[in-house]
Amino acid sequence: MFRSLVVPRAAARSAFKQNSLPKVVTPSAIARLSKRSYATEAEEKDLVIIGGGVAGYVAAIKAAQEGLKVTCIEKRGTLGGTCLNVGCIPSKALLNNSHLYHQILHDTKNRGIEVGDVKLNLAQLMKSKDTAVTGLTKGVEFLFKKNNVEYIKGEASFASEHEIQVNLNEGGERTVAGKNIIIATGSEATPFPGLEVDEKRIITSTGALALEKIPESMVVVGGGIIGLEMGSVWSRLGTKVTVVEFLGQIGGPGMDTEVSKAAQKVLKKQGIDFKLSTKVLGGDTSGDKIKLDVEAAKGGKKETLDADVVLVAIGRRPYTAGLGLEKIGLDTDERGRLVIDSEYRTKLPHIRVIGDCTFGPMLAHKAEEEAVAAVEYIKKGYGHVNYGAIPSVMYTHPEVAWVGQNEQEVKASGVKYKIGSFPFSANSRAKTNLDTEGFVKIITDAETDRILGVHIIGPGAGEMIAEGTLAIEYGASSEDIGRTSHAHPTLSEAFKEAAMSCYSSAIHF
Amino acid sequence: MFATKALRASAAHAERTPMIKFLGKRTIPASVDHTPHAHPASPSHELPVDFKSADKPTSPTFSSYRQHAQQHGPLGRAKTGGVGEASGHSLGSVSPTRGEYFDRNELPARFRRTPLEMAEIDAIETGGATLVC
Repeated sequence: MFRSLVVPRAAARSAFKQNSLPKVVTPSAIARLSKRSYATEAEEKDLVIIGGGVAGYVAAIKAAQEGLKVTCIEKRGTLGGTCLNVGCIPSKALLNNSHLYHQILHDTKNRGIEVGDVKLNLAQLMKSKDTAVTGLTKGVEFLFKKNNVEYIKGEASFASEHEIQVNLNEGGERTVAGKNIIIATGSEATPFPGLEVDEKRIITSTGALALEKIPESMVVVGGGIIGLEMGSVWSRLGTKVTVVEFLGQIGGPGMDTEVSKAAQKVLKKQGIDFKLSTKVLGGDTSGDKIKLDVEAAKGGKKETLDADVVLVAIGRRPYTAGLGLEKIGLDTDERGRLVIDSEYRTKLPHIRVIGDCTFGPMLAHKAEEEAVAAVEYIKKGYGHVNYGAIPSVMYTHPEVAWVGQNEQEVKASGVKYKIGSFPFSANSRAKTNLDTEGFVKIITDAETDRILGVHIIGPGAGEMIAEGTLAIEYGASSEDIGRTSHAHPTLSEAFKEAAMSCYSSAIHF
Repeated sequence: MFATKALRASAAHAERTPMIKFLGKRTIPASVDHTPHAHPASPSHELPVDFKSADKPTSPTFSSYRQHAQQHGPLGRAKTGGVGEASGHSLGSVSPTRGEYFDRNELPARFRRTPLEMAEIDAIETGGATLVC
């Protein structure tokens, strides 16, 4: 095999030596080269989507269902973007299995289950996560085939306003032209100045999903949802986790202060330490342990924290590198987001932007909504996304979920409001499950009884928030919820009773 | 069924009216204002100035874009004098005149010879032995 490759090359070299310089190429050879080697002529598509993440692949499938000829370009090599590959999905696999492990270790005896020797097989834990990821990414690829979406694996950049040049992953390049183009290139972890990420010791959420051994200690820089979820995983597996947060509360913006305090209390009880209102000054990675210098956010005593691993989870930033936006005159704002109008159009109206690389919360379900709406704007001329009814969920245990405005926001708006809440400790199903931490809190307009916000900390909060989101989407009152029958015994009765306590009184509390 | 209906009707004044109302099947709005407005999640709640000038897009349709698009020449065939209009034969010979040469190195980089690395030269000269020894 090798020889058959080598001989012509050797022959060519000897022939090369025999030829007198300058080396010439005949015009006919040039013509042949031209014919063979130039990039293929641009193909025309109704819609070209850059990015095969949640925003991109949903837009691609929706557009194909609407009868458009669609091409989706993705450079990762697998579809699903951050969410499926290194985000929501693998983290949930680890959260679920680490919770099971933790529960077997610490919460079986009082339930009447005696367990023998419990061992953790980290490699298998990671493998089961990878199986979930692969199944889902391949599933999306199947959906592309089913819907006749052309899938190009490669890195896209704008050649002109309607043409996209793709450097194919398998080598070579190709040009695709689109009547409409959607940019859905997502986001990446925001680096922390002074802490160089190597994904081994200084890690982002991506590295936190693939650690090869359980670290003794971990400092999480940033007490938002990503930091607390990944901190929970490793804490359950035996790591001593300390969360350092610049703000005075955990959970990031949007989480109701009362809920945030409750979550901190529960997580503290699970073994996670918190340093709030604390800023990280820098780190030293030269020793066996990473030394992290921190001090009070408003200035004060300095302290050094030791850790085997530091997880940088201070947020995410839009990812638009390599798109060649400058070639078509598209700008980003001061935070790197592509500027769009209410129909997701850039100033070049045939180019739309959806998902993490533009305005709004960086959430997969928000990106999905935008994907459907953007395609509907292209095809039908109208679409719908209610940014006031996008739920947020933190998949710790207990889960935290919310939708609409929190109490601090309602208070700041000057609207007169009422609060109804109901603890899971008074809910029959939570009692039977021996899982009673948390509560449901509903905020309503004092005059109209319209629900303004729903905040849940407790078992199954992530599922239950769908009812709150539907209520806000429909403009429901607390009485609408309170007078709707909820099955007994279910956790959702806590939701109903919280609503009842807004306009009247809860029965069981 | 009717009894319940009658009872409900007679007690209508006492019944609460749910805020959720069935509005009927969703319909396509008769007219939609497509002029650019600020995105609801935009932090500034306003569009940049250059969006307003985008009311008249540079390429309103794909076909009009093709009128002026270029890729190794115009994408669409020009009516007169366009690339590909005349046959190659009628354009005459493209052979270089005497004493003139085309050099491969004048072509774009991707058409030039791949540079040989020392490892490859060694592999060729030893019949591949350096790769396995």
